[in-house]
Amino acid sequence: MKVLTLNCGSSTVKYKLIDTESRSNIATGKVERIGMIGASIELKSPDGNKVVREVEILDHVMAINAILKIMVEPKVGVLKDLEEIDAVGHRVVHGGETFSGSVLITDKVVQTLKDNIQLAPLHNPPNIQGIEAAMALLDVPMVGVFDTAFHSTIPEYSYIYPIPYQLYKKYAIRRYGFHGTSHRFVSQRACEINGRNFKNCTMISIHLGNGASMAAIRNGKSVDTSMGFTPLEGLVMGTRCGDIDPAIILHIMRQEKLSLHEADNLLNKFSGILGISGRSSDMRDIEELYFAGDKQAHLVINIYAYRIKKYIGSYFAVLNGVECIVFTAGIGENSPLIREKCLEGLDHLGIVLDKKKNDEVVGQEAIISTPDSPTKIMVVPTNEELVIALDTAEIVSRMKK
Amino acid sequence: MRIQKIGVVGCGTVAEGIALNIAHAKLEVIMYDETENWLKDGLAGIELTIDNEISRWGLTPADKKAIMSRISTTTKMRELKDVQILIEAKGRSLEEKTKIFMDMEAICHDSTIFMTNTTTIGVTDIQKQLMFPERIIGLHFILPVHKSIIVEVIKGIHTTEEVVKTTKFLMDTLGKKSIEVYEYPGFVTTRIIMPMINTAAHVLLEGLASAEDIDRAINLGYNITQGPLAMADEMGIDVALTYLDSIYKQLGDPSYRPCSLFRKMVREGRLGVKSGHGFFKYDKMKRRIQNG
Repeated sequence: MKVLTLNCGSSTVKYKLIDTESRSNIATGKVERIGMIGASIELKSPDGNKVVREVEILDHVMAINAILKIMVEPKVGVLKDLEEIDAVGHRVVHGGETFSGSVLITDKVVQTLKDNIQLAPLHNPPNIQGIEAAMALLDVPMVGVFDTAFHSTIPEYSYIYPIPYQLYKKYAIRRYGFHGTSHRFVSQRACEINGRNFKNCTMISIHLGNGASMAAIRNGKSVDTSMGFTPLEGLVMGTRCGDIDPAIILHIMRQEKLSLHEADNLLNKFSGILGISGRSSDMRDIEELYFAGDKQAHLVINIYAYRIKKYIGSYFAVLNGVECIVFTAGIGENSPLIREKCLEGLDHLGIVLDKKKNDEVVGQEAIISTPDSPTKIMVVPTNEELVIALDTAEIVSRMKK
Repeated sequence: MRIQKIGVVGCGTVAEGIALNIAHAKLEVIMYDETENWLKDGLAGIELTIDNEISRWGLTPADKKAIMSRISTTTKMRELKDVQILIEAKGRSLEEKTKIFMDMEAICHDSTIFMTNTTTIGVTDIQKQLMFPERIIGLHFILPVHKSIIVEVIKGIHTTEEVVKTTKFLMDTLGKKSIEVYEYPGFVTTRIIMPMINTAAHVLLEGLASAEDIDRAINLGYNITQGPLAMADEMGIDVALTYLDSIYKQLGDPSYRPCSLFRKMVREGRLGVKSGHGFFKYDKMKRRIQNG
């Protein structure tokens, strides 16, 4: 099945056309600067050819139309006819409490997403615009795949915050968790590699990109995750603070007379790696400084790794032992230093890293624990679009039956 | 209507704020004024505002780059010919505003919507001289423009509903809440706030309390984020004086008769934030110097 996956932001649309039988990309690309002067569309084919063009794109309908057009263009296109597209899979950030798995998109689903906007005011509106635009242009089944869905199995005692319960009833304030598609993909894939049954395995998956989160997984289900009501909670991230004493922000707001917007920015855009280092939000820059002996970079990396280590410890307790720890995403796949630092001194828990192997693994699937380590440590590159495409194909073929 | 490009006439404090607000809302903006130097100062003012925002985490350096890339300037009026909306924040009198719009009518498309930032000058009075009076509407932004979320929208007698609708849509896009008001001196915001500012100046002049304490009393006593004297500094002491004079002249209400302190301060060049000294003192970054 040929599935077009769409990831719509407020001014961008990222897309991939995936052949779900061979699990290969037919085309990838993006539209940028929607509604602005200098909007552009990019198409990359698997042979490495890339086309970038400036075009007038005023909204998501025009953006998706431009994607469809360029894919069938005689010289640069990858399809003869748009009818070759069997289905569309949409990435949707927030499914709220309604969606515990990927769903076939109907008018009712779109309405429910609209009702959930207040939970993800930045992300869900462009996701919905993308869905409506695609529905207007293509007459094929569409599926929504939610970042939150994989975590819908988290038990109540883990997702309810210890604040007045009426706030959960009134505003649905609870832990939702994010990066679910990635956690699901890499944990399943790790089981495949190990020849283990995903439905019968305890694992910790550690997604370390610009945003970062961890999940405790038991028998194929997420039972806890570090991100919460929003993607701000949990690990130290590129520019987000992760866990802090909530009283700190009230204190700073009082002292600096900050508005809500400024306080929000402070925590989401000026904190984390950028905030501590004062120089960059990119771990690659910090590692370079670290190896050059920079003191502040040492502090950043120590804080970053320590936080992950604390979560490993707590998830170890939650799961009563862990068969496998999986690292993924930009930093998780490419930084032997971070992997080593956050696993340091965990031998007594049965987590033993093969340092030499770890140093050699960058951006590829591998087992990096020693052969006798009771807990397997792995690196698995994430592929969220593939999950979206596979979920879409599965739901659509079930529907056709 | 899909709005992509907006022209701003003027590059003073209000015009700077409007241009910044538009660019922050991801729309292109072109600022016009008569001299390169004024425009340079205008751009520097916008950068300073953004830097201040960055220093208190309101904006990021990446936001600054994106915002500045969307603002262009020109000293040639005809370069505004293709804008869909033109916002004037330059003319200080009815004559100056009318002249600007008459010039713009000769340059812009007939469909361009004209907006004028006004506090006390009537929109209908400007409309009298124009070929297409129905396309002009009044706006009243509150300082600091990029932070204040209220805009008063003032319909002139000839302004069409279509223009009102587009204006409200634009204000939504800029993240503003608009309230429609009738043409009347000072509209709602200035009309209500100026007697408080004027009275605060009288209270200071009469020696009832220090400037800090007067502001603190109103600020904390009534949960108003800024005290009246700090508000006057932000507005510009000369501007506050003009507002009071104008409303007093039009309404004859003595609560608008300007406190003599305003004239004294203007004579001394104590114009508020913009001159570094008003009721309070400010540093080069326009930040209040405590106990100053």
